[in-house]
Amino acid sequence: MKIVATCSVVAALIVFGYLVAESQMLSYLSSEPEVCITCHTMNTHYATWQHSSHRAEATCVDCHLPQDSFTKKMFAKARDGFNHSKAMTFSTYGANLRISDDAASRIQENCIRCHDSLVSQMVENAQRYSRTSSHVRGGRMCWDCHRGVPHGVTRNLSATQQNFVHN
Amino acid sequence: MKKSTIITILCVVAIVPMLMLVFSIKEAKAVQNEINATPEIAKLEPRSYEWGKHYPRQYGSYMQTEESSEILDVLEENPALVIMWAGYGFSKDYNAPRGHFYILEDNINTLRTGAPVDMKTGPMPTACWACKSPDVPRLIDKMGETDFFTGKWARHGGEIVNPVGCADCHDNETMALTVTRDWLKRGLDAEGSRPFAKATHQDMRTLVCAQCHSEYYFKATKWTDENGEEKVAKVVTYPWDEGTSAEEIEKYYDDRDFVDWTHKLSKTPMLKAQHPGYETFITGVHGKNGLACADCHMPYVREGGVKYSNHKVQSPLEDIANTCLNCHSGTEDEFTSTVERKLERKEELHRMAMSVLAKAHLEAAKAWELGATDEEMAPILQDIRHGQWRWDYAIAAHGSFFHAPEETLRVLGSAINQGQDARIKLRIVLAKYDAADYEAPDFSSKEKAQVLIGLPFDQLVDEKNEFLTGLKQEWFVEGEEKGIYDPRSREGMKLKTSYIE
Repeated sequence: MKIVATCSVVAALIVFGYLVAESQMLSYLSSEPEVCITCHTMNTHYATWQHSSHRAEATCVDCHLPQDSFTKKMFAKARDGFNHSKAMTFSTYGANLRISDDAASRIQENCIRCHDSLVSQMVENAQRYSRTSSHVRGGRMCWDCHRGVPHGVTRNLSATQQNFVHN
Repeated sequence: MKKSTIITILCVVAIVPMLMLVFSIKEAKAVQNEINATPEIAKLEPRSYEWGKHYPRQYGSYMQTEESSEILDVLEENPALVIMWAGYGFSKDYNAPRGHFYILEDNINTLRTGAPVDMKTGPMPTACWACKSPDVPRLIDKMGETDFFTGKWARHGGEIVNPVGCADCHDNETMALTVTRDWLKRGLDAEGSRPFAKATHQDMRTLVCAQCHSEYYFKATKWTDENGEEKVAKVVTYPWDEGTSAEEIEKYYDDRDFVDWTHKLSKTPMLKAQHPGYETFITGVHGKNGLACADCHMPYVREGGVKYSNHKVQSPLEDIANTCLNCHSGTEDEFTSTVERKLERKEELHRMAMSVLAKAHLEAAKAWELGATDEEMAPILQDIRHGQWRWDYAIAAHGSFFHAPEETLRVLGSAINQGQDARIKLRIVLAKYDAADYEAPDFSSKEKAQVLIGLPFDQLVDEKNEFLTGLKQEWFVEGEEKGIYDPRSREGMKLKTSYIE
């Protein structure tokens, strides 16, 4: 039995190693936008970002990961990695991707972080809004109004056909 | 339970989802490779249909240029042109350009290319093909530029069988905009202020058009082939060394004593301007503000969530909402009437210039007839040469009245002035020979004008008809046999010319 157990552990480690290689897991430690398009699901979002006003100012992680602390960032990456893997393995997503509440609040924080001088008054005044969402700071998502930024208004994954992702 | 059993179970529980993830990743990668695969298109593939298999929207919109099918005989509209181009191909046949779908067809059908009976006959050199087909860069790549540019037009008959298409402007591996006509690069570098190496993507959206929509001449270039035989190639060259304005190009030609042809009636050493679209566009307000040809002539259009450049190259007035109104506010009607008014202004000076210059030619012909000397006529002929060059420069690119209205009107003004200068001098000469009140004969119709210049129109048409039913048909059969001809590029083509009823 001990031999079986040892073999199982070795097998598990080998499969894990194979998984790390196949999924290019180590690349996810970096902040390069090209890493996000390891999965072609993200081609549309990469392409729309490349043609947007944010293309020279902000990369994927600048908006989609918390930038205020290293630990928060790494935990967020880990959460995302787990959720993405689950979704990919069990094919739980369709053509219309929508962000989770957690991701939305992260993005909102980053909008406010970069555009602070413009929106600080608005964020303060937000306490006076009558309709609010609780998951984002300020109660209203920036993109409720700024709908096209940066991934365009047409959100479907098939929206950017013949989409050759060039570097 | 034994420790080792628990470990085994845990490992199995870990391995199963890991393996599932691995397999789903592998599946996704296979799909990704399919999506990201560069379409296999041969280098310089002349058949646009092959490109269109991978880019149906661009190909489909490009094929819509077939819609502009009507022939507009410019010589009928402006018979003065027949006089002004006496002794030159343009006096035989000149139509307003149709869409790119017809570019090769019209080149073959025009009376200007004549009626060759074999590879060595006909009035025109091989360079006439230069802007008409993606078979041209293909051939140049195969045989070299100097060999390509040697010989008569008919020499390449069975090899040039596809109209302008994808390969003329796009790289087959990356689809990047690319220049396939080296003479543009040489011209830009000779002029110096806009070297080709520094061209941005936005610049390329103009330069791919400037490969053809620019003034050129055929520079006689001597060379020796591998058998030691001496030959002369007529190489397409852009006369931009001194600059791209009417005066600067005039100086370039004068310095080299270059003559396009000697006028049949007035014996003037003449220059012909061919559509200096690029040169004039860059002087106008749109060019100066960084617009490219494609911004207005190939605007982005949207089909659902997909955005692409409309390859139906046409007048921007056909789609004002997607062209002018991207940047300007105002209504479609306002823009249409503004442009109409610009056209009217150009037409006014254009008609004046044509009348003046045609009469100058006819008056000069009379002076020669009465015995005028070379010395008496030389300054007159210079004025006519320059006057007609400037008129041609201003109007040969049919959009210049819009691309650069001030420059167009300025140059037309100078053309009228030079023409009248010639006629003032001519009055003195004519008076000297007792013909002070000579009036040029009537040239108010294309037929009258062609008779005046002694053009054997019917004979030209007969010979051309023989060519159209003979050699032209053979060429496309040859092209098909060689596997380079795309019959879809001529599907639905009806024979339309100015001379066939």
